[in-house]
Amino acid sequence: MKIHLQDGTARTFEGGPATVSRVLLSLGVNPVEVIASRDGKVIPEDTFLGPDDEIRIIRVSHGG
Amino acid sequence: MEANPDGTGRPPACDLCGRPGVYLDRIQNRHLCSDHFVGDVEGRVNHTIQKYVMVQPGDRLAVALSGGKDSTVLLHLLRRLLPDADLAAVTVDEGIDGYRDATLRSAGATTRGLGIEHQTLSFLDLYGKTLDEILKGQPDRACSICGILRRKALNTIARRAGASKLVTGHNLDDEAQSVLMNWLRGDRERVLRRPEENGGHGFIPRVKPLREIPEKEVALYGILKGLFVELPECPYMHSALRGEVRGILTTLERGHPGTMRRVVEGQVRLSRQLSSIPRASRPLRACERCGDPTTARLCQACRLFDPEGGPGTLVSPER
Ligand SMILES: [Zn+2]
Ligand SMILES: [Zn+2]
Repeated sequence: MKIHLQDGTARTFEGGPATVSRVLLSLGVNPVEVIASRDGKVIPEDTFLGPDDEIRIIRVSHGG
Repeated sequence: MEANPDGTGRPPACDLCGRPGVYLDRIQNRHLCSDHFVGDVEGRVNHTIQKYVMVQPGDRLAVALSGGKDSTVLLHLLRRLLPDADLAAVTVDEGIDGYRDATLRSAGATTRGLGIEHQTLSFLDLYGKTLDEILKGQPDRACSICGILRRKALNTIARRAGASKLVTGHNLDDEAQSVLMNWLRGDRERVLRRPEENGGHGFIPRVKPLREIPEKEVALYGILKGLFVELPECPYMHSALRGEVRGILTTLERGHPGTMRRVVEGQVRLSRQLSSIPRASRPLRACERCGDPTTARLCQACRLFDPEGGPGTLVSPER
């Protein structure tokens, strides 16, 4: 599966079906700090992702 | 509890209606769909406003609108939850090149869309200099200097708008960070301060309707309502301590859901129970330069510009 980060870069995750949280943690991202979407829809962090899924990550950190 | 372990990839269903979930509430261990999540946030903000008696009949509310996600969500929520309230949006333009223009445009679009009156006050008008000019040579003090100057600017513009309350978009994460930072700095006065005293001496009372909503939920509400705008980050280095405390708290929240809420609620209870402890209450007087209430000869903001120098002034950078 493919993970699009907010800075425009993308990462891939190989390792079978996994939840959004597990994928994020494997990239060193704390799920508390981000929101994930797939096909333009926000999904809960315990959603299972398939090998062809692409998710987009939005950081919720403070904008002032 | 793992959802859909069959690997179908569908988002877990809303616990209330069975439609696709958008959010896992890790404190109550339940999933919510878009509509139920939005309703849940609105209900809790409403509850916070009632619980702390943030709005009373006859109030005129000045909503501090930076144009960022928290204050934009706040303004929409207030309009929705308090349709009859007397609202004005107030924006401070610090004068930060390459950053403020986009957020100011966003703030203007928000207030025009909601039909809410909007006033802006710039550091240039109030202090004769932009923040960029003020910080020349000492960018490392950006957050503390900006904080002092912005506080005065917000109070000034709220007063000009005829407001009885200043409403800010601080969320649960912000509040938990502040609690921890007050303890880490050993700031006795702030540790003892009750939420009702938030305005500080002689300033327009401040209320924070989002203080019980986690930052992630504020952002998600904004996304689901189509309010989320990608904006540039403030170019100045943020307070190192706040950044570290934020990281510590989100790590704890991950391992122990509800940590931030307990930190903030515990602080509220503690400050109420300790309310009989005497504070260092020096008498208030008018700032010799600007007339704002202060316990010293000059208010904090005017002290920054004091030509006679002294600790902490912009004239003699030392920290
Ligand atoms: Zn639902
Ligand atoms: Zn002053």
